[in-house]
Amino acid sequence: MIRVLLADDHAIVIEGLRALLEGEPDIKVVAWTTDGPDVSSLVEQYKPDVVVLDLELTSIKGTAVIEALHERPAPPKVLVLTAYNDGESLRSALDAGADGLALKTESPQQTLTAIRQVHAGRLVFPQAARRWIEGRAAGAPGDLTPREREVWALVAGGLTNPQIAERLGLSDNTVKFHVQHLFSKLGVKNRTEAALKYAHGR
Amino acid sequence: MGLRDAESRAASRRLLATSERELQRIVLDMHDGPVQDIFAALSQLQVVERAVAGDAASQQRVQQAIGLLERALGEIRNFIGAFRPPGFERRALGEIVEGLAVQHETLTDQIVELELPPDLGDCGLPTKIAIYRILQEALANGHRHSGASRQRLRVARHENAIELTVTDDGRGFDPERVLAREEDVGVEGGHFGLRGIQDRVEMLGGTLTIDSAPGRGAALSVVLPAE
Repeated sequence: MIRVLLADDHAIVIEGLRALLEGEPDIKVVAWTTDGPDVSSLVEQYKPDVVVLDLELTSIKGTAVIEALHERPAPPKVLVLTAYNDGESLRSALDAGADGLALKTESPQQTLTAIRQVHAGRLVFPQAARRWIEGRAAGAPGDLTPREREVWALVAGGLTNPQIAERLGLSDNTVKFHVQHLFSKLGVKNRTEAALKYAHGR
Repeated sequence: MGLRDAESRAASRRLLATSERELQRIVLDMHDGPVQDIFAALSQLQVVERAVAGDAASQQRVQQAIGLLERALGEIRNFIGAFRPPGFERRALGEIVEGLAVQHETLTDQIVELELPPDLGDCGLPTKIAIYRILQEALANGHRHSGASRQRLRVARHENAIELTVTDDGRGFDPERVLAREEDVGVEGGHFGLRGIQDRVEMLGGTLTIDSAPGRGAALSVVLPAE
């Protein structure tokens, strides 16, 4: 059974999706909210497998919600549900670390399919986003997120994770998350190698 | 450049930024209203479709309604996909262009071969907006008219100028005739055409070169001052 949490500013969207998902034998909607900041505590309480999240929340940035979820020991999969299929929303969703993207301008059936796919561990993004996704895996420095670049510069400057956290106003866990991603994208094993790579022309 | 030229160029820049804000407002209205409503209605209808599975006539009507709503959504998708401004303030020129290439590939089945130098740097907001809209229109033209399966897009910097090149090996066209035909046409179907590209380039004091002829592919080149 796939446990799903729905987070969207629009109550009618939640109502519609709940009706649709409840008809599926393998899916259960365990919680929903129209208030972005509630997502973290609901995830804590209901332990969903998949969070379906609109990026355009009024009270908090959707990308911030995703980053907070990544700090959890066993983070749920995140499927971004958005009306925008432009380069910008794709990039934001990928940068924040979402597992997939479904569109409100396509049939809700697609959302259903995407929920099953991200739950199965697949990255669900349009083919065209391959240059960013490949970068995520293969480690071309050109595909670092702006935050990862910042972190990289500070790592190269010899700062520790707590020092970087303080400098950037982030939690230690978030910095650890960014550092891990940075290392895997750069294909390095430790801070020294990351610093060397930084010194040699980025 | 005389003082009056400088003033009128500054006014042009402001005008371009203003129309961009207007676009943003329209896109937001579509996003907050019709998109959410139609998506929610479709979800409900799909539940109804299952519920009436035993009743062929009702099922057919529901499927027809679903089809109509999906078509409406599809039209909105193309509109807001094309017009939602990217993060002009947050992202550097190269990232904006890269996002555009990905977006073009998502909305069409055409491949964009992108050539971006790593040291492209950034430029002022009005120039960045103009570059984005010019490239977007050039790619859209190349998709609608060339019949080619791919386009090449190159952005380069030469000291104080930025050069944009969009080329394809498609069926080509006669630039004079196309520009003449678009003389009195405003924005049509959301596209401002070759003439619109020319207007934007002129407003920013740049130059536009179009090299094409029927059967010979097309190359569009724009040089803008990097302000």
